[in-house]
Amino acid sequence: MASDYKPVIIVLATSACAYPGADAVGKAHLEYPANISVLRVPSPVVFPEDFYLRAFARGVDGIIVASCGTDCPYEGVYQKLSRRIDRLVKRMKSGGLEIERVRLTAICTVCIKAFLKEVNQMNDKLRSLGPVDRERAEALWRQSMADLRASVGLPAQTA
Amino acid sequence: MIRSTAQVESVAPEPRIGVYVCRCGGNISDVIDTEKVAETIKLVPGVRVSKVHSFMCSEPGQAMIAEDIKKEQLNRVVVASCSPFLHELTFRVAVRRGGLNPYLYEHVNIREQGSWSHHGDPEGATVKAIRLLAAAVHRLYHAEPLEQIRLPSHRRALVIGGGIAGLKAAVDLAAKDVGVVLVEREPQLGGRLLGLASLFPNDESGRAQIDRLVGEVQNNRNIEVLTGTVIKSVSGFLGNYDIAVGPASAGGAADVEAGGAKEKKLSVGAIIVATGHDYYRPGSGEYGFKRYTQVVTMPEFIDLLAGASRDGIEFNGQRIRRIGFMHCVGSRQIEGIHQPQADGRVNDYCSRVCCTTVLHQALHAKRRFPYLAVFDFHQDIRTYGRLHEDYYRRASEAGVVFFRFHGDEPPLVEGGVDGYPVQVRLKDWLTWGEEIVVPLDLLVLAVGMVARDNRELVNLLKLPIGADRFFQEVHPKLRPVETSVNGILLAGTAQAPMTIEETLASASAAASKAACLLAHDSVELETFKARVDADKCIGCGLCFPECAYEGALVRTNVEREGKTVTLASVNPGLCVGCGACVPVCPTRAIDLQGWTLSQFEAMVDGLLSAPLPSQPATSESSSHGKAH
Repeated sequence: MASDYKPVIIVLATSACAYPGADAVGKAHLEYPANISVLRVPSPVVFPEDFYLRAFARGVDGIIVASCGTDCPYEGVYQKLSRRIDRLVKRMKSGGLEIERVRLTAICTVCIKAFLKEVNQMNDKLRSLGPVDRERAEALWRQSMADLRASVGLPAQTA
Repeated sequence: MIRSTAQVESVAPEPRIGVYVCRCGGNISDVIDTEKVAETIKLVPGVRVSKVHSFMCSEPGQAMIAEDIKKEQLNRVVVASCSPFLHELTFRVAVRRGGLNPYLYEHVNIREQGSWSHHGDPEGATVKAIRLLAAAVHRLYHAEPLEQIRLPSHRRALVIGGGIAGLKAAVDLAAKDVGVVLVEREPQLGGRLLGLASLFPNDESGRAQIDRLVGEVQNNRNIEVLTGTVIKSVSGFLGNYDIAVGPASAGGAADVEAGGAKEKKLSVGAIIVATGHDYYRPGSGEYGFKRYTQVVTMPEFIDLLAGASRDGIEFNGQRIRRIGFMHCVGSRQIEGIHQPQADGRVNDYCSRVCCTTVLHQALHAKRRFPYLAVFDFHQDIRTYGRLHEDYYRRASEAGVVFFRFHGDEPPLVEGGVDGYPVQVRLKDWLTWGEEIVVPLDLLVLAVGMVARDNRELVNLLKLPIGADRFFQEVHPKLRPVETSVNGILLAGTAQAPMTIEETLASASAAASKAACLLAHDSVELETFKARVDADKCIGCGLCFPECAYEGALVRTNVEREGKTVTLASVNPGLCVGCGACVPVCPTRAIDLQGWTLSQFEAMVDGLLSAPLPSQPATSESSSHGKAH
């Protein structure tokens, strides 16, 4: 890839752990590439598979799911999240989307080194992979929504 | 606090968004071109006003936002400044001042996650700021006014720990007419101070201070005391915690009767954690501890001195004439020099009380037994606090001999000669590195404070722990006694090493905070709960197994087209807003209000479609700071 390629990376960071963890990196005045943006979320468990695939389809190159790990303040949520990411990864694999584009990790409120390692690794990886194949992602996105609706006997949405 | 407000505005069909970019007095604008950010963000549809201010959180900054809302009829506001953990609430309040629902506000972090983490890439940081702002603007397209949830609450607090912090908090709460249940694990109230005689700053004994507070507690009908009791379970939320307590000992009925403690259920609105500290326990051989009988810890020495007869201090049959005090035992440790603790980390913090305690005890000993030779081994002397510097001056005047060592070269404690049981060998930096050997009858280790091992309580309360293992507050300056769990507050040395004065201040602060939270017979809860759109819900039931919180999701029967169907609905008091139910819904009927999936999708779209800053910026561009 051209050396000036800057992948669009989003970090879905938990309010309780990873978001303050990302703040801690700034407070320590340590740097990471500016093409990485952190979005705050109570817990990434809220996102269905189609959310990730839609983001890829719109042009996000990589997503880091920065959870609280086993420190998750919500009961049973981390396990649900990791199972969902597993299913997402399987779906991506089957549809020919590089599975390295999504990464589940745990970042604590003071995990400065872990945060830097994760974002730099993702950045390096995506710089070698290049931009996401948006058409494949779009097909996977439509399929995942159709599958969810089909599980309760609903037809795929046409809109 | 945000009060529940009647819906102030009817949401205009068209978004009129105000964007406010903070320079943070250079913290942001030294890296990010804030003017360019404000100028560029105007290209995003819906942005009507975009302005820059040096300190948006200042009164003029907030007033500007409130005025613009009225003047420009803004119906959405974004501020780009520091982390939302600092000032999100500030600006929600500012927005309400302007007559707007506080949830039509979005906070963008361009300091901690902008200028401070991309200072080597000003251009990249500027582009990122624009992207994040565009994401926020897009998110606001989908924002809706939200109301705070009000629930009845218990005007009663649980105080965990009956040491000086817990006692003080209980007394203060009771004075505000808040009921208190004071739970202490030990059979008696008092905690650490019971064992400490004559303490700075006024030479009063720990027991006298405790007795006074215990007297106030016991004569107070607002305070229920449960000793020999521990917390067994905690559930609920601010205003409505359900607590189960039981006897402290794991033993059988005999213990229960002996301690008088019983299984009991409590309903409280807030919890103050005042579980105190442990003394640092030196490792075997650390400064001669356990290797030489004449090496003792500071609490042991305080006891020894208090019990000494008029004839002098005697210890292990030895008349004490030469005493050494070793500072920083278990505090200000250095990785690679000191043995790490069980978790692999050293105690790198200062325990704050030891320096003043050493000098206070040294003076006390000299006053009683003027013939004593007292030696002080320190890295630094930190007698901060009102009048505490006097102890240092007076100790010097009284002839205490000071030696100073470097932290990475701690003194060695060896067996003594010529009848002296121990000696301290060190490089003394007050005499430019001279090696000195000081023979002693007794060496006192000024042990620091360490966090208690409270694993069970931590798990029950889900409290955050700092790198130093003490309980962590939300913010050291802005929210110094609050934890990230709403309604759970910290008092005293459970949070950090503190002097008695600091402990009392912290306990009073926690009590005031709790009293404020419980000032009314209802509490306002975060509004970020799950919500079901009954029109979209098809009653498939997929969400129910996802919810781990009993009673949060409720099956509700409704009539639909002549038939009874069972739909999901949410009990906002029990819903924690985790969002586990959201992703399984095939019709997107269930969402977290304030954090809806459409809002997140809009953020992604905003991020990707953000306008790029124009090149180059015209220096005289004066359009920023004015309405678009």
